[in-house]
Amino acid sequence: MLKITNLSATVGEAAEAKTILNGLSLNVPAGEVHAIMGPNGAVKSTLSYVLTGRSGYEVTGGSATLNGEDVLDMDPEIRAAKGMFLSFQYPIEIPGVPVMTFVRTAMNAQRKARGEAEISAPDFIKKSRDVAKMLNLDAEMLKRPVNVGFSGGEKKRLEIYQMMMLEPKFLILDETDSGLDIDALKTVADGVNAMRDPSRGMLVITHYQRLLDYIKPDKVHVLAKGQIIKTGGPELALRLEQEGYDGVLGEAA
Amino acid sequence: MTTALRDFIKNPTTAELELVARYAMQPEDGRRERAFLAFAETGLPHRRMEAWKWSDFKAALKALETPASASANDPVPHDGALVFRFAPTGFEQPKTLPEGVRILTQPTTQALSGAEDVPLGALAAALAGGGARPSTMVIEITSSDLPRLHFVFDGAGEASFARIIFLVRSGVSLTMTESYLGGAGFTAALLEFNLEDAARLNRTIYQRGGTDEALAVTGLINLAANSAAVQTTLAFGAKVARMETRAVHQGSGAKLTLNAAYLSGKGLHADITTHVRHGAPGCVTRQLTKGAVLDGGTGVFQGKFFVPRKTGQHTDADMQHQALLLEDGAVVFAKPELEIYADDVECAHGNTCGALDDAQMFYLRQRGIPETQARAMLTEAFIAEALSTADDSVRDVLLAEAQNWLSS
Ligand SMILES: Nc1ncnc2c1ncn2[C@@H]1O[C@H](COP(=O)(O)OP(=O)(O)OP(=O)(O)O)[C@@H](O)[C@H]1O
Ligand SMILES: [Mg+2]
Repeated sequence: MLKITNLSATVGEAAEAKTILNGLSLNVPAGEVHAIMGPNGAVKSTLSYVLTGRSGYEVTGGSATLNGEDVLDMDPEIRAAKGMFLSFQYPIEIPGVPVMTFVRTAMNAQRKARGEAEISAPDFIKKSRDVAKMLNLDAEMLKRPVNVGFSGGEKKRLEIYQMMMLEPKFLILDETDSGLDIDALKTVADGVNAMRDPSRGMLVITHYQRLLDYIKPDKVHVLAKGQIIKTGGPELALRLEQEGYDGVLGEAA
Repeated sequence: MTTALRDFIKNPTTAELELVARYAMQPEDGRRERAFLAFAETGLPHRRMEAWKWSDFKAALKALETPASASANDPVPHDGALVFRFAPTGFEQPKTLPEGVRILTQPTTQALSGAEDVPLGALAAALAGGGARPSTMVIEITSSDLPRLHFVFDGAGEASFARIIFLVRSGVSLTMTESYLGGAGFTAALLEFNLEDAARLNRTIYQRGGTDEALAVTGLINLAANSAAVQTTLAFGAKVARMETRAVHQGSGAKLTLNAAYLSGKGLHADITTHVRHGAPGCVTRQLTKGAVLDGGTGVFQGKFFVPRKTGQHTDADMQHQALLLEDGAVVFAKPELEIYADDVECAHGNTCGALDDAQMFYLRQRGIPETQARAMLTEAFIAEALSTADDSVRDVLLAEAQNWLSS
């Protein structure tokens, strides 16, 4: 599904360009959930931005393909239409644009790009109501401008709301657990698990085992210095929690 | 007389000579002459005049010529409104008028005080009239129960001049709209609003013009005690377009809201200039101007609050200007000014100018919204606040026009 091979990238202008990805390889087959862990500043978020096409990074080598298609040359909106979705570590506020308007515009833009018909207003509203109910989101909240005045946890839930509305093929969750209270974590995890599907892949970036208790990963990768330096099963996350990065990485180094 | 006048304008341009010739064809009238002299003092305003340094009419308007482009369509609904139409040579007004609106089409010109502050307003006063067109149209409003009054300025021709004076009687509310649709090489309109005690005005202005047209709309608003005026402008600019408003709080408790949005594309220049004098204690002014400019477009904002020491006490005034430079090559000039001599006042101002936020753009695009559409969405959301004060009957129309412009 998502295949990253030897991916290298830099940030910044020519002379000051700083290497952020250094020959990273990762393969997430359809139907699997992979977790990425790693210390602060390990370029986890950066990896998610490079994959979704944020400007400011230059890919200097390697490739990333989604179902065999090279995504690195595509505009971000094309990648989105192909099914890439990023749940942002820090969701962005969009003053003046109500959530419902935003999501419906996004959904129809994606459908248009894929040559599909627009969703009808009643269908959209029904779908929104169902998703909001599942995530315990207040209908009033969806009339407010995107993320404006939302609490940290509300923003994270709104990311998942958007994800469930847009039904992407490949999901990147960047620290979706941070900021969520215990009940919200469970609710969000239920939402994510409901999206699990043999045709869907997920990359879950987190610092904590707790999220992985709910969203069981098939594999856990440790990212540091622009590379995947260790890969294991779910037990790797538990070990990291007990021994810390120093303990686990010490042996890898 | 013509030769004498001609001497007033130093090194007159072709356009200025043509304006002098037009004046010479008007009937003799002392007030008209005074207005023309006020204009002739400077001639067409130009960059060496402080108030016009960014909007140089002398340079933009070489001669009075019918432009290549036709008038734009009027998006403001005519149904249900009393429509007045000013064309370069024609004039139309409703066949019958309901009770509560009375029109005095003066054969003579009315005096214009402060003419020297508004050279193009003075020019409109001096050249309005001729043919079917009234020299000065005085409209007296005595009922709040009127349909919206709508003033259309369109039609092809070299130049179009109009002067309209509104008398809004005590306690009466007036809702009116104006559409400046281009078509004339040069348009100068002067609108004066005299609001009596507790009178109310809601004025909405829509402006569109071509890259070979010059337009100056001068609005003078006098607010008596406890009166309130709300003005909302959506301007797309022209080769040079100046939307100028000068308001005076003359009685305490008056309230003024001055909102504007300008959207300038390639070859277009939109100038929002305002001057508000707090000439009575305890008056309120709220001003919000938002702009968005593309490559090759120019936006100008000049705002001034003048608060005298004695009469300006307890003034509550706020001026905000925020502009978006949507592309490289977009130009915005801004000069917000507070001139305050009173000590017990609350006055604030803010002025920002920048590009769209990269993080917001990426967020929208990551969700699948293409770049142009994302830009349009963010820009529309940005300017919408300035248009929120427009009358219900036209607000959505203005937003739709802005949206069309942004997504094209
Ligand atoms: N535009 C940039 N210019 C310079 N350095 C940058 C830029 N963008 C990111 N970095 C640096 O790259 C590193 C990786 O940042 P990133 O946000 O990807 O880390 P992370 O692994 O997501 O960390 P966290 O766990 O704290 O979220 C950081 O040291 C950051 O300062
Ligand atoms: Mg991060």
